[in-house]
Parts: sequence; structure tokens; C-alpha cells
Amino acid sequence: MSLFLIASLPFLGAIFPALLIRAGRNASAASAGMVTLTALIGLLTNAPAVLRGEVVVARIDWMPGLGLNANFFLDGLGLLFAGLILGIGLLIILYARFYLSRKDPMGQFYTYLLLFQGAMVGIVLSDNILLLLIFWELTSLSSFLLIGFWKHLPEGRQGARMALLVTGSGGLAMIGGMLIIGNIVGSYDLTVILQHKELIQASPLYLPALLLILAGCFTKSAQFPFHFWLPHAMAAPTPVSAYLHSATMVKAGLFLMARMWPVLAGTDAWFYIVATTGLVTMVLGAVIALFKDDLKALLAYSTVSQLGLITMLLGFGTKAAATAAVFHIINHATFKCALFMSAGIIDHSAHTRDIKRLGGLIHLMPLTFTIVLVAALSMAGIPPFNGFLSKEMMLEETLSAVWQGSPYLVAALAVFGALFSVAYSFRYIGHVFLGKRRSDYPGEPHDPGPGLWLAPVFLTFLVVVIGLFPNAVVGPLVQVASGAVIGDGQPVVFYAKLWHGFIPALYMSVVAVVGGFVLLLMQRRLAPLWDAAPRPEAKVIFDALVGGFTSLSRRLSEALHDGALSRYAAIFMVFTLALAAYAYGTGAKGAPNREMLDLTIMPVIGWICLTGATVCVVAFHRNRFLALVLIGVVGLIIALAFNYLSAPDLALTQISVEVVTIILLLLALNFMPKNTPQESSTGRKLRDATLSIGAGLGAGGLIYALMGREFSQPSISEFHLENSYSGGGGTNVVNVILVDFRGFDTFGEIIVLGIAAIVIFAITEAVLASNVRGRLLNREPDMAQAGNPHPLMMVVATRVMMPIALMVAAYIFFRGHNAPGGGFIAGLIAAIAVVMQYMASGYEWAADRQRVYYHGIIGSGVLIAALTGMGSWFAGLPFLTSSFGYITIWPLEKFEWATAALFDLGVFLAVLGAVMLALESLARFAWQPGMDSEHPMEINPARDDADNHEKQEA
Amino acid sequence: MAQIYEILITAFLVISGVFGFVGSYGLIKLDNPMSRLHAPTKATTLGVGGVLIASILYTLMSEGRLSMHELLITLFLLLTAPITANFIAKMHIHRHETPESLPKVGEDQSWATLAPEKHKPEAE
Repeated sequence: MSLFLIASLPFLGAIFPALLIRAGRNASAASAGMVTLTALIGLLTNAPAVLRGEVVVARIDWMPGLGLNANFFLDGLGLLFAGLILGIGLLIILYARFYLSRKDPMGQFYTYLLLFQGAMVGIVLSDNILLLLIFWELTSLSSFLLIGFWKHLPEGRQGARMALLVTGSGGLAMIGGMLIIGNIVGSYDLTVILQHKELIQASPLYLPALLLILAGCFTKSAQFPFHFWLPHAMAAPTPVSAYLHSATMVKAGLFLMARMWPVLAGTDAWFYIVATTGLVTMVLGAVIALFKDDLKALLAYSTVSQLGLITMLLGFGTKAAATAAVFHIINHATFKCALFMSAGIIDHSAHTRDIKRLGGLIHLMPLTFTIVLVAALSMAGIPPFNGFLSKEMMLEETLSAVWQGSPYLVAALAVFGALFSVAYSFRYIGHVFLGKRRSDYPGEPHDPGPGLWLAPVFLTFLVVVIGLFPNAVVGPLVQVASGAVIGDGQPVVFYAKLWHGFIPALYMSVVAVVGGFVLLLMQRRLAPLWDAAPRPEAKVIFDALVGGFTSLSRRLSEALHDGALSRYAAIFMVFTLALAAYAYGTGAKGAPNREMLDLTIMPVIGWICLTGATVCVVAFHRNRFLALVLIGVVGLIIALAFNYLSAPDLALTQISVEVVTIILLLLALNFMPKNTPQESSTGRKLRDATLSIGAGLGAGGLIYALMGREFSQPSISEFHLENSYSGGGGTNVVNVILVDFRGFDTFGEIIVLGIAAIVIFAITEAVLASNVRGRLLNREPDMAQAGNPHPLMMVVATRVMMPIALMVAAYIFFRGHNAPGGGFIAGLIAAIAVVMQYMASGYEWAADRQRVYYHGIIGSGVLIAALTGMGSWFAGLPFLTSSFGYITIWPLEKFEWATAALFDLGVFLAVLGAVMLALESLARFAWQPGMDSEHPMEINPARDDADNHEKQEA
Repeated sequence: MAQIYEILITAFLVISGVFGFVGSYGLIKLDNPMSRLHAPTKATTLGVGGVLIASILYTLMSEGRLSMHELLITLFLLLTAPITANFIAKMHIHRHETPESLPKVGEDQSWATLAPEKHKPEAE
């Protein structure tokens, strides 16, 4: 199967669980499972080639100008990780089906899971580092959704936010590092980058790039000092923890270190940063894990410790260590996933994860005990399980690591860490399962049904099989994967065996196991000491840091952006004036080369009206109704000016926008004081006057200067005028520009318009769902209300006007391509036709007669526009290429038939829907029960007579 | 023939000009809002109407076809002008009049605009 399909299948399939949840939880889970299974099978079809040592590639030039190409490649390392992600993903889907309760939205869960899975597969298959970065950020986002899946729990939300912040900011650092690497090599393709080790390591930018990339890897893989997010992410449902922290999310950092190993590893900087961080993380995680009473916290810190181990191995920079790291990645995924699942099982039936409240579960949950026993012993590194093999390899590698001249420091610390990991592994077995059966479990512990135990049993089966037959089961995979990590083309020899003879690593293992056992016996006595010991609390520091940044940015943004429109305007004006002054001071301007036109009477009248209205706005702005009327005058004069200057399209648009805007402002004014209070000091007035006069004179001067001169460059208008008819099939150049030349812009704009309207709707919903609703419903109007709000004449007239106005809209729409008009203006006119009904007959009356939701109108508009654009693909042309022709249908005259008209229909619908949705949302604030009468025309003699008649009969 | 057209067109233009002027003058001259309301409504209906008829005649004469645009404009004017006047009157009643200052309503309850309580349909 193509790599594109493998990488995109989870994304494409993510919609199915969400839809199929309506058919039941089994259908939802099965669809997620099928998607993952299909991708896994697709991956396995490529496996034979990869195991032969080939590299499978799939390439598409996506944005070659940016160096961003959709290139995927599959080598040993990619195969290993993709196999882990998809394989364990399948087990998690099975487990989660039976883990999640009936109250959890399972469709949502599987959708998030598949999105996350897709992002992870994308990371491991990407050949382009920019593409890899996109997937990297997608994992941060989708894991945020997964960790915070239980939105009702504050821990879940906080944990998710912390994970997002830490891994997301690490990802940002990594973008910088990756771009540096790409710049050094001159290519963003991984396969190319991986061949330039000397070039990269010789560059002076090697160290910054290394640090930035490692920042990304360490945050993602929870390495010290960024390890703190991982335990907090345990607030997620257990399947999520099992998936994210055994096989996927935290392994992404390791994957990237392994991926970049050929070019980054081998230097002193690499060794000291990576190996030391790994070592510290390993020891620290193991020590903390031993003293955690929450089962999942114990496992979380053990994960941190194990990740540190793998990081350390990668940091050593030797081939054998890299091989051991790859091997341990597999082993850790198997036993840790099984352990997380078993912790979930215990939590499910015993209703607690607190080790202190557990114990003696062996009598009640023998099957779970078996799973835990095998997996935990493997984690402790006890033969014959797979954890023993890789831990042995690790210990052997530490012996050859020399840290600042001391040959035994690393080995000693590694044994120390291993000792603690033996202790916490034994603690899981001992303190949870062994001992006497208790009578005070919060729940009733019992072994679960097969849905919950199948997945962990399969994993423990792997633990045993890999432990017994490592070379037959995973040997080839480890060989190709480590070959890919090392990347020098030499075949890697991997040969693991349980018995090596009496070598130092064996003694170290024995020391660790015995020491760990002794430590466990002392754990109950050491725990109070540990709890009493002062140590920095990561969450407190993190919260303080985040709080500090939040208040800093709040102070900064509130200084600039405090909600006062006059302040924004002032800042904007000052800045613009400064820029203009700079431009005026440094630029050159030619002499005026256009003749002045004669002054005629029309512009003079217009000018007097315009300036008169403007001056009046300034003078009377405290009376807001009056100001609104004056603004309306300004708008109408501008429309007339457009018309006078031969821009009928603009004039039409201006008039319709003016009407809608004034209605909008009237709606808003309903809730505001009708007069502006006097608040400004004299100094402030002076400042504002200076600024506005400066800006006005500046703008006027600029326009005067501009219109007195010819363009220094040929204008694009010529091109539009020449090609409008031949290319776009229309003689109205304005409309052809909108629907054809700049059709893509228009497409974006109608989407933005739709989004804006829906946001207004959403805000309205949010406000009306809060306690504001009560206050709005009981609001006393601040002015006396007139009776008869829906007068007969107005109601009748608007209803008569409705079809006429719609006809005008249709007329404006259809002629738009060749004469002034078009979808945008027609949309506004149709909206006004409907708004008239709301105003005349009342909100309730109009809402009762609303057949189609405005959301749907917006959506259908955008869809029609998109589909029209896509239509050109079928003709092999780029998106939104328009075509037109002429057809004759008897008895009509010959008429033009252009795809642009269809696109314009989309514009029409989107504008209509957006305007109506926005106005309707605002109108809903004013609605009060009983505000509208049942009959908009309150005085109706016929009805009154009928009522009286009825009364008399009664 | 053209002579007759020209005379007719001129006459209509003059008539509309007179009405327009009288309407505007009345708006300034009359002292009572309800009286003042009369002036501009004449200007919009008769004054603009005269121009529109002149325009129809002009197209008939110069282009030989009957122009319908003007009829549409007339329609819109006839629809909107009364409503505007109605609203101005209602506004005046609402803000400046009391039931005592207005003529008696006869058998009706009261002036609709002045109704203190909104007219609600009897819920029985």
C-alpha cells in the first residue's frame, strides 16, 4: 500500500467513529479498529521490502517553493515505529471499547485517537522535515484533546494544558533547529540531510541547532527537567495513558533522536547533553516512582525513567548502544502498555489506584496478577523476559561510557537507577497483589471480561516470546531499525541471548535485583522520610511561571488593547502618521502632471453635505441617535459620489451596506445609553483633535497629491479591462474581478464572512446561556415605549415590498456579470428584504415563518462556491477556472451561461446568510416574552368583530 | 408633435418645481409639527411625480419607447412616503402629545400609539 495512504488513513478514517457512534458503541469501535487494521496491513505489505534492506519512498511536490514536499519514506526505524503505533493502537481500541463507560462520548474518543495516530504515523514516515514538524505539532494538539478527554475533571484539563504547553513550546524550539539544519544542508529532505554528517557537525550553527532540536525531543519524551508534564497527563483515561506513554507520544522524541542520530550523534556535545540528561532522568524517575502510591503515577515515573534509559543509550553514540536502545523501545512498549492496561483493570474493578488501599488481589484477580507478574518482572529486568535482555545490554554499554574521565560513574548511577526500577516493579507486584486479602476495597475486585484482558494478555505473550526467542521474533526488525539509526550502510549484527556467561553486566544485574528487593522491604519505612524531604514541586513552579507570563502579557496587551476604541484609533493614527512622516521625509515626488477638472455644481453640493454632516457629527455626537442619522447622511453622499464617478457597483454596495449597518447600530443602541457622557479631559480632547486633524489633513493631502499625477507604473486595470470579456465572459469588470480574476480571494472572504456570522451567533448563544439571560428578560427599557409597535401600514407595505425586493435582488444578481450588480449586492438586498419583515412584523412573527436556518444558507453558499471551483478540476484546469458559453432555449433569447454565475450564487447565499445570522443574533438579545403580539397588525376590525362575535355566542 | 411634447414636459417640470419649492418652504414656514408634516409629503409625491411623468414623456419623445422605470419609482414612493409620514406622526404623538391634547377616539379604546400597555390578545 502506498505510504500516502498509510499516513492519511487514520485522518480519513477519523470521521467514521464519530458518525457511527449513532449506530452504537460497537460500530464506532469497530470502525476505528478497521481503519487502524487496514493501515497496519498496508504497512505490513511494505515490510518484506524494508526487511530486505530497501527503503520505500513516496513523493509529491507540494509546495516546492518553500521546500515543503509531501515526501514519505519507510526504512527500518519507520517500520518499527509505525508498527508499534498501529499495532498497539489496535489493542488500545479494543481495550478502550470495554474500558470507557456508557457516559463517555466514545465516538469523540476514537476520533481523537485516530487523529493522534495519524499524526504519529506521519511523524515516523515523513521524509521532509517541514512535513515532520507539521505532524509533530499535530501530535501535541491531538494529545491535548486526548489527555483532556474527561473535560469535567480539573486535573484532566490542567494536565492537558500543561502537556500542550510543554510539548508545544518544545515543538516551537524544534522548528528553529530543523530550519537551521535545513539551511546548513540546503535541503529539507531527511534522506538528503542524513548524508551530510560532516557538513552539519562542522557548521558553527551545529550547537544551536542541536540544542533546539533536543529541546523538542526532551519535552516530548519527558526528559529532565521537562519530565513533570507526564505524571500530570495521567489524569487521562487509562487507554490514553497506555497509548501515549508506552508506544507513541513520548516515543516521538526518542524517534527523532534516533532519526537524527547519524548526523547529530558522535560529538562531545551530544554525549554530554543527551547521555547525561538520560542518566539523570532515569535515576530521578526511578527514585520518585518508588514513592508514588498512585498506580498510574508509579507507572508514569517509571516511564520517565525508562525513557531516560533509552535517551542515555542514544546519547552514548556507539552503535551497540543504539542497537540496545532500539531493542529496548520494543520491549518497553510491550511491557509498559500491558502494565498500564492492568492498572486500568484494577482501577475499574477495585475503584481505586491507591497502592495503600490495595493488596492481596492475587486471590481475587488471578488473571490480572499473571499479566502484571510477567510485565513487571520484565520491567525489573528478570530473566527470561524481554526486559532482561535489553537491560543487560544497557548495563554492558554503561561500562564503556567515560564521563569526564571517570569510567565508573555512569555504570554506578545506572545500577543505582536499575536498583530502584527493580524496587518499584516489585512493589507493583508485592504491594498490590501479594499479602492477605483485605475486606475494605472500595469496589469489588474481580477479573474482567475478555474485552479488557485480551490486549494485555497478547502483550505479555509478546514479552515472554521476545524474551525466549529474541533473535527469531524481533531480530530482523531490530537489525534493520538499528541499521537505519546508525545509517552508515553497514549491516548491524544483533544477537541477544539470555545467558552470556559471568560478565560484569550480570553482576550488576544481580546487585540491582537484590538491592531492589531489599529496598522494597524498606520502602514503607523510607516513604515518610521521602515525603518529609523538601523538594521543588514542578506543578507549583510551572503554574507560577505560566501565571507570571500571563500577567505580563495581560499587562502589555491591556496597555495597548484595553477595549476603548478611541485608544486603538489613537495608537493606529500615531503609528500611521509617524510612518507617513518618515515616508514624506525620505521619499521623492514628481511634479503634478494631470490637469485639474473644472468645478461643477454637483460635487460642490455633495461636498457641502458631506462636510456639513461630518462637522455636525462632531458637534452633536453626544446625542447618539442624531449622530446615527448624520452618519447615514455621510454614507448616502458617499454612495452618490460613487455613482457620480461612474462606479455604480460600489454605489449599490455602499447603499445596501449602509442600510444594514444602520439597522445593526440601531439594534446595538437599544442596549446603550442614548447620550454619550462627558468624560474626556481638556488635554485629552486636545490630543485627539490634534491627531484627527493631522490624520485627516495627511490623508487628504496624500489623495490630492496622488490624483494630480499619473501612475508611475502601468496600472493593472488595463489587464482587467482587456481580459474581462475574453477571459471571464462578462462585461462588468468589477464583477468579473470578484468572481474570476480574484475568485480565490472572494472564496476566502465569504468563508471569513460566514465564520464571523457564526462567531456572533456563538457568542450570543454563550451570553444567553449565562445568567445574563435573566437580566435581559427582565430588562426595563430606559425610554418610554410607544404602543402599537407594528403598525398596520408598515406591515402591509413591507409584505407587499417583499416579493418586489426579492425580484430586484434576482435582477441585480442575474445581470451582475455584465452590468452593475452581482451576488454580493443581491445578497445584501435580499437580506434587507427579510430584515424588513423582522422590523415591521416583529421577531417572533418572522422567526415563526423561517423555514431554513441561516447557518445552512451560509454553509450551502460556501459549498456551492467550492464545488463550482472544483468543477474545473474535471476539465483538468486549476481550481476556480471559470468557463462560459451561450445557449438558446426556445422560447427564450440566446443567453450566456457562465460557471462564474454559479460561484456568484455561492457568494449571494453566504452574504445573505451571514447578514441575517448576525442581525438575528443581535435581535435575540432584545427579545422578551410577550414583546410581540400574536398578530403583528394589532388593529384589525375583521378580527375584532370575529372575537366579539365569539364572545357574544359564548 | 414635438412641440406638444416639449410644452407638456416643461409644464410637468414647472409643476414639480413649484410643488417642491412650496413643500420645502412649508417645512420651514409652518410652526406646528403636524402641520409641517403636510409640506414635505406634497413635495415627495407631487413634486417627484411631476419629474417622473416628464421623464416618461421625454423618453417617449426622444427614443420612441415607453419607459417603465419611472412607474417603478412611483410605486416605491407611494409605498414609502406615507409610511414615513405615519412614523413621523406617531413619533410626535408618542413624545409630545397626551390623550387630553388629542381629539377623542370615539368608540375605540384610545390612540394606538399612546396605548400605555401593549395591546395583548385576550388569552382565554
